[in-house]
Amino acid sequence: MESDFVTYDKPPISYRERRFSRFLLFFEDLIKVPIFRCQHCGECILSSTGFVCSQRCPKRLRNGPCGGTRADGHCEVYPERWCIWYKIYMRSKFWGRIKLLYKINRIHNWNLERTSAWLNVFKKRNDAPVLFVCNDKEAEKLDDFKRQD
Amino acid sequence: MILKDKINSGQFIVCGEIGPPQSCDGDVIRKKAQYFRGIADAVNITDNQTAIARLSSIASAKILLEEGVEPIIQMTCRDRNRLAIQSDLLGAAALGVRNVLCLTGDYQTFGDNPEAKGVFDLDSTQLIATVAKLNSGYLLSGREMKKAPEFLIGAAANPFAVPFEMRLIRLCKKIRAGAHFIQTQPVFDPELFRNWMERVVEMGLHEKVAILAGVMPVKSVNTLLRMRADVPGVKINDEYIQRMEKATDPQAEGVKIAVEIIQTVKNLKGIRGVHIMPFLWESIMPTIVKESDLRN
Repeated sequence: MESDFVTYDKPPISYRERRFSRFLLFFEDLIKVPIFRCQHCGECILSSTGFVCSQRCPKRLRNGPCGGTRADGHCEVYPERWCIWYKIYMRSKFWGRIKLLYKINRIHNWNLERTSAWLNVFKKRNDAPVLFVCNDKEAEKLDDFKRQD
Repeated sequence: MILKDKINSGQFIVCGEIGPPQSCDGDVIRKKAQYFRGIADAVNITDNQTAIARLSSIASAKILLEEGVEPIIQMTCRDRNRLAIQSDLLGAAALGVRNVLCLTGDYQTFGDNPEAKGVFDLDSTQLIATVAKLNSGYLLSGREMKKAPEFLIGAAANPFAVPFEMRLIRLCKKIRAGAHFIQTQPVFDPELFRNWMERVVEMGLHEKVAILAGVMPVKSVNTLLRMRADVPGVKINDEYIQRMEKATDPQAEGVKIAVEIIQTVKNLKGIRGVHIMPFLWESIMPTIVKESDLRN
């Protein structure tokens, strides 16, 4: 099916696993909170957003800016703040990761809120991060936005 | 002929826009509908525009259908989670609505209920994908439906906000998610719009979707100034503000500007129609369509 990236994930995670996940989250936070100001969505898409956390957007948009970015690149809701997607675009350009912005991020699974994103990648609940973008072939793979499992 | 067939046949599309009232007075919609009947191919119905509670867009769509005007319901992600979105879409389809415009929605602090909780469970791209999935006969949970809706999916694009390249990327995403037509923000800077259209044509996107340029007739210079100050992401040329200031009859000048913009964008390559947004000024619609020779 063409629009497969909107399908639901696996059933809710068990209490045991969630506890373990919260334990891992402590270590993850030591890195992610100071550097990226992680919002604990549990489905990390940092690698497709130029390593700027898109969840800091007031609307928590995962697929690009809303139509309200101000002419100076600031947010429509908080004029003193940068539009987070403006920053994502600038940073992606800087790192040469523009092609990754074409990836459509799936509907957020709220079951994964406040769980360890690293464990979720390991358990194949979300996509593995793309750390290096070397050539066009890498980008072509992104067109296939089906789940990996 | 329904909007889908009109878009497929390649004829020039004229869309209008109606803002429902802040009361339960359905006659307001009926009255406004007469300005669009036989003039516009379809009419957008805003969904709690600028985060102010209004008559529901689906209920207004039903009234428009009774009046013989084809509605395009706007669906925002601000007020609904994925359950409500699916049930509202199915309900709209059952009432005979065939077109939906998928939007993220203005942030709640812009309206008169700034203390409200914004939902934003999906974003507009994911909403488009959701409608596409419903069209294919499945609910989000993967359950197959006995009868699938046949929505024509619309999306919005803003050619005037920074970063410009990101806007095109987002347009690509929306098209890949399943959008059939695109309505742009109101054009008040034809030069910038032409540049954007050139990029769109370069990327070949105009062949995949029907792009309808937004045009907004304004009554007075105050509307323009307020829009420039309060509506982020709208770019207004100083030329238009000066012209509106100098004009002895601002309403006539507003119509003249709108007609000028329509005639400029009409001839651009890749433009398949216009979307006229007469904000609180629906009665001007017939005049504009007549003066810009959109209906021969």
